[in-house]
Amino acid sequence: MASAITIQSVTKTYTRGGESLRVLDELDLTMDGGTFYALMGPSGSGKTTLLNLVGGLDQADSGSVRIGDVDLGELSSSELAGWRAANVGFVFQGFNLLPVLTARENVELPLLLAPLSRAQRRAQAERVLELVGLKDRMDHKPRELSGGQEQRVAIARAIATDPQVLLADEPTGDLDRTTADSVLDLLQRLNRELQKTILMVTHDPQAASYSDKVIHLDKGKLGRIDDNRAASGGRK
Amino acid sequence: MPWKLLWRNVLGHPVRSLLTVGAVAIAVFLVCVLQAVTSGLTRTLSSAAANRLLVQSAVSLFVDLPLSYQQKIAAVPGIEAICKWQWFGGRYEQDKGGFFPQFGIDPDTFAASYPEITIVEGSYADFQRERTACMVGIDTATKYGWKIGQTVPIAGTIFQRTDGRPWEFTVRAIYTSNSAAVDKISLYFPFHYLQESVEQGGAIGPDGVGVYMLRVAKGSDPLAVQQAVDGMFANGPQRVQTTTEAEFNRQFISMLGDVPTLLQLIGGAVLFAIFFAVLNTMLMAGRERTRAIGVMKALGFTDHTTGALLVAESLLLCMLGAALGIGLGLAAEAPFAAATGAFLPGFGFDEATLWLGAGIALGTGLVAGLLPGWRAARMNTIAALREVG
Repeated sequence: MASAITIQSVTKTYTRGGESLRVLDELDLTMDGGTFYALMGPSGSGKTTLLNLVGGLDQADSGSVRIGDVDLGELSSSELAGWRAANVGFVFQGFNLLPVLTARENVELPLLLAPLSRAQRRAQAERVLELVGLKDRMDHKPRELSGGQEQRVAIARAIATDPQVLLADEPTGDLDRTTADSVLDLLQRLNRELQKTILMVTHDPQAASYSDKVIHLDKGKLGRIDDNRAASGGRK
Repeated sequence: MPWKLLWRNVLGHPVRSLLTVGAVAIAVFLVCVLQAVTSGLTRTLSSAAANRLLVQSAVSLFVDLPLSYQQKIAAVPGIEAICKWQWFGGRYEQDKGGFFPQFGIDPDTFAASYPEITIVEGSYADFQRERTACMVGIDTATKYGWKIGQTVPIAGTIFQRTDGRPWEFTVRAIYTSNSAAVDKISLYFPFHYLQESVEQGGAIGPDGVGVYMLRVAKGSDPLAVQQAVDGMFANGPQRVQTTTEAEFNRQFISMLGDVPTLLQLIGGAVLFAIFFAVLNTMLMAGRERTRAIGVMKALGFTDHTTGALLVAESLLLCMLGAALGIGLGLAAEAPFAAATGAFLPGFGFDEATLWLGAGIALGTGLVAGLLPGWRAARMNTIAALREVG
């Protein structure tokens, strides 16, 4: 059973140019495990900040962020790194593949942190590349791939360690509509077939329509949650 | 440690990596050569025989001593043998650009005074017997392909024949040496051939002898001999300075200045420059990889690993440079030794010199990698991911 994400009274403040900016303000939110969430809201509403907190890239000033039984606020920096390696996969808008490595080597990178042999790492990388439909391109460097293929490799890297949670920050922001749709299809498939909990930040309502639920943030607070499944009569 | 990534990062910028490796290689090569010169000097000085003293003019090494001094000096108690050394300064006719020292010596006392020398071809007796004979070091004989019995034409510069022809010496012995105190490139011939030629009008040149070598008898005090010889000519007609062989060598080398200090300064400057070159390369690498560092941290790599990756890259570049520099040094050792053999018979890359080269590269790589590594380790993951690539 996939772990739930629980946000309790989370506040996060940044200081910019001497001014204090409260990005998340006493936010309370619970996300079910195995559900595909889209996170929407105007710029500055705290979407990416929330994503970073859930991914253990940042820590809340107050309140708690729990993934399953783990309170991320209680982990040290190195414990958080270890937790991320095992439990979270990231998909970025700019793909962020390492240009000096091939597609397979990029996917193998997080597997270096898992207790696997070289052959096991290779096999797992090939398996997930096959899952995203890119096994035939695995020996290509990122510059030899299209934007859509790069994002698929990035998704393969994100799921290589079989994490519970997949966090995607505007994953289709740099892609054309057709390519974006195929990437969103892939994310949806990962959610449906592998029961991954997905939290995807997006400005695009069409991208958000692929999710099960849409969380709307406004000025650091929860606006509303739309249930796409209910809206579509549960036929997604 | 993701070794493949480390290697790919190095290969990702082949020109930059090659230039850095090349710069480190040249620096290590230079440092090894400079160190080899310094240790060569030390070896040459420390190999000097304790029972050999050298008498020269108190004014300068370039002022000859009267021939009449030999008999007087030989009478000083404690001296077992005396041998003239006269710098000839000639040029081999077939290779006027080449250089090897030539000396007029006393064959009867020379061999016994230099037990470091071994005859490998011909015989010392033949050399001793013949007025125009010469004994040459094995390196020079090999270089020019000289054989026993061959006549070697040497044009005099200080001592010139009046008929305008070169001096001719017949190779009667080829020697080698087992000590850094005696080189393997010199040519020795009987001093009396030179002296008689000048006296009979067959040649022109200075009258006298450059240096007298004294072999101190076993059990005698070299210092007492030294003082007695200096004291004998304290009131003229020409004052002399008697020194041990080590001191003589040291003074000879110091004519070029404080060589060891100079070499250390040059070596230090080279290291200083190369350190900043490597540091600059690694800082550039660190800046370029800001996003990659952010990605690695997001994937779960620790601050320590991302920092260590840059330190390891710096070490890898420097150690590749060290291997290349040491390889170059070993390849150049023989030509360098041949070029410096006259003044520095002790030149050579010993194990300590090679370890020094490797150690310097290791230290440079480590220190130059620390700052970018520390920056990478401290880098905020979110800020790194926001960096525009």
